[in-house]
Amino acid sequence: MSSTAPQRRTSLPSHAREAVHRARLTVVPRLRTRAPRVPFVSLVSLILLAGVVGLLLFNTSMQQASFTASKLEDQASSLSARQESLAMELDQLRDPQRLAVKACALGMVVSPTAAFLDIDSGKLIGKPTAAVAGTCNFEPVIRPVRPAPEDTLPSESLGAARAAGLGSGR
Amino acid sequence: MSRTAKPSLRRSTRPGSRPSKRGASPLRLRIGFIAIAMVMSVFAGRLIQLQGIDPNQYAQMAAEEGLDRVVLPAKRGEILDRKGQPLAASADGLMIVANPTLTAEKAPELAALLSKRLDLDYFSVLERLRAGDSQFQYIARQVPAADARAVVVEAREAELYGLDTREDPVRFYPARDVAANVVGFLGAPRKSGAARPNAGFESSFNKYLAGTDGEASYQVGAGNRIPLGDSTVVDARNGEDVTTTIDRDLQWYVQQVLSQTVRGADADSGTAVVMDRQTGEVLSLADYPTYDAAEPEKSPSTTYTSRGLADPYEPGSVEKVLTVAGLIDAGKVTNKTRFKVPSALYRQNSPITDYFEHGLINLTLAGIIAKSSNIGTVMAADEYERGELYDYLTDFGLGHKTDVGLGGETRGILPDAGAMTDQTKDRIAFGQSLSVNALQMTAAVNTIANGGVRIDPSLVLGTATLNNGTQVGSGVATERRVVSEDAAHQTMQMMERVIDPEVGVAPGAAVAGYRVAGKTGTAQRVGGECQCYADGGFTVSFAGFAPADDPRFTIYVVVQNPRNGGGGGSVAGPAFSKMMGYTLRHYGVPPTGTRPSRLPTEW
Repeated sequence: MSSTAPQRRTSLPSHAREAVHRARLTVVPRLRTRAPRVPFVSLVSLILLAGVVGLLLFNTSMQQASFTASKLEDQASSLSARQESLAMELDQLRDPQRLAVKACALGMVVSPTAAFLDIDSGKLIGKPTAAVAGTCNFEPVIRPVRPAPEDTLPSESLGAARAAGLGSGR
Repeated sequence: MSRTAKPSLRRSTRPGSRPSKRGASPLRLRIGFIAIAMVMSVFAGRLIQLQGIDPNQYAQMAAEEGLDRVVLPAKRGEILDRKGQPLAASADGLMIVANPTLTAEKAPELAALLSKRLDLDYFSVLERLRAGDSQFQYIARQVPAADARAVVVEAREAELYGLDTREDPVRFYPARDVAANVVGFLGAPRKSGAARPNAGFESSFNKYLAGTDGEASYQVGAGNRIPLGDSTVVDARNGEDVTTTIDRDLQWYVQQVLSQTVRGADADSGTAVVMDRQTGEVLSLADYPTYDAAEPEKSPSTTYTSRGLADPYEPGSVEKVLTVAGLIDAGKVTNKTRFKVPSALYRQNSPITDYFEHGLINLTLAGIIAKSSNIGTVMAADEYERGELYDYLTDFGLGHKTDVGLGGETRGILPDAGAMTDQTKDRIAFGQSLSVNALQMTAAVNTIANGGVRIDPSLVLGTATLNNGTQVGSGVATERRVVSEDAAHQTMQMMERVIDPEVGVAPGAAVAGYRVAGKTGTAQRVGGECQCYADGGFTVSFAGFAPADDPRFTIYVVVQNPRNGGGGGSVAGPAFSKMMGYTLRHYGVPPTGTRPSRLPTEW
């Protein structure tokens, strides 16, 4: 488009040129504001830079937080696994059979009788009797279904079975 | 295309002052446009393909890219005793797997480390670490997570590579054989990772215990989760706990006594049930032989079921209690009604005799029970109308499953009223020719203890849902009156005479300081090669409750086929006494301090 205007001008007849020249509007000289560009440009680039750097830092810190989160999660799960396995150990230590064997080894026995003291009336119900020391003769945890008849066992292995406590109840 | 372009090329070159440049431009433009159009149409085609033909598949593929899915395993519920002590519990666990192509090189060092840390057999581990043609070998399963991770880290630090871990929850049974027949156990998990329940509550409440797995999916970049990326989490619904009515300490003691009793009598097997009179809750359900739930493979699979529920047997004289309670309720007799009991009763094809020899004796109904006379019971049962005995026994719960939540329960055999001939009725009156399971019988005797009201027995405290959707437990247990309070009271008085050292047959069942009511049973068993009574031996039992005048517990002990010649009074009676004594002390039940009944047994 810009190239068409000068072409038309050159093709005008010469007598008209002056009229045209007179009639022509002159361009108002551009009013240039001589505001300094440098601060603006630097401000914009500073904002841009700050934005980019900020975003980068933000992103990095998020990523860092994510790493920390996974690390802490791992730690939490391994700690809870540890807690669980300790609780499991504790539960296994609470096995009644185990407790009974330990208690018996300390000389404790199951009391054959109990007496009750009524606090309100001060009355004694039942006859208090001292417990008698007993033997620690507990049935093994895993019990044979039915021990094989003794005569079919060679004497050595029978002795071994007795030593292992398998024959304690018989 | 190029042909149409040529003339224009010539036309423009001929007159123009700037020939070459001006003429070339439109041509290049057109070629450019065509090229662009071609590329654009390819894009358009691709766009239509993506958006029009199969948009979902591509959308999904795009979403899958960089999306990580993790199954969030549901934690299996625990099985607890009535005080909250675990009978079966779960913990985080891992399986350790090895890739032999990586481990083969340093297998001995790695095997030494693994066998030392995890208590494994060195040689079998070594073999697995060296397995040829394999990239996957199990080293250890169900290792507590903390231990497994520690071992893998230790191996890595020692520069031994090729080990990995995978999710593999641990199920453990801290009380081992205590209540094992109720709890059951989980076998090695299936390939899919699902639990493989075996026997007991683990099996019957599997769905309830298992819960539902959840799933988390999130976007991953370079192995790390992308912050602010898409993520969806469906939380796992953990399994529910099942609280049993079992008292762990009491159960242990009862199992100890039962075991000693069965072995002491050189018997085949035994069952003992301890029931809370008021609620019908089973405080202990012991079986012998049993197994260790922590190491079930060490015992034969026949020991896995609960004999107390699965094995039907003929109850023998314990059942007389139900016969006479019904008679008194029907108003036919009282516990003082007098009978002339002959030495044998000749009816139909075989005579009915008593276990002890006697001439014609004068017994009251109380005497018949105290001495456990079959003849006397049959004579008393003659008072029943046709079908009446059947109705009472059905009301007591015989012939019907207790449905406490354990699989494989037998309903027993109670010949129905139509099929009950006179001969069968006579035998049923003293406890032969019908079969029960131990829990049914305990609930029936507990009815007497509970003033004639039968309470459904329960093994689950509160409620829990079986695999088939039915709710069971003490929360849904129902009650029904079977016999009048007076009938129950009179029966109790008669049962108290059984323990009397002078007139009764089971003084060994007494508990020092307490009033005890009970009844012995010595039934012939069908067995041996002929499948007849002659070779089967006996089922000896004792059922009773204490304190007699205000019962708190009902205990039933059954021993199958004792070979020491003992009967219900001498084998099961002392076991009952120990269990009852322990239970009363354990729950701090003081003696009632009243005098035992002095009902006349003879006249």
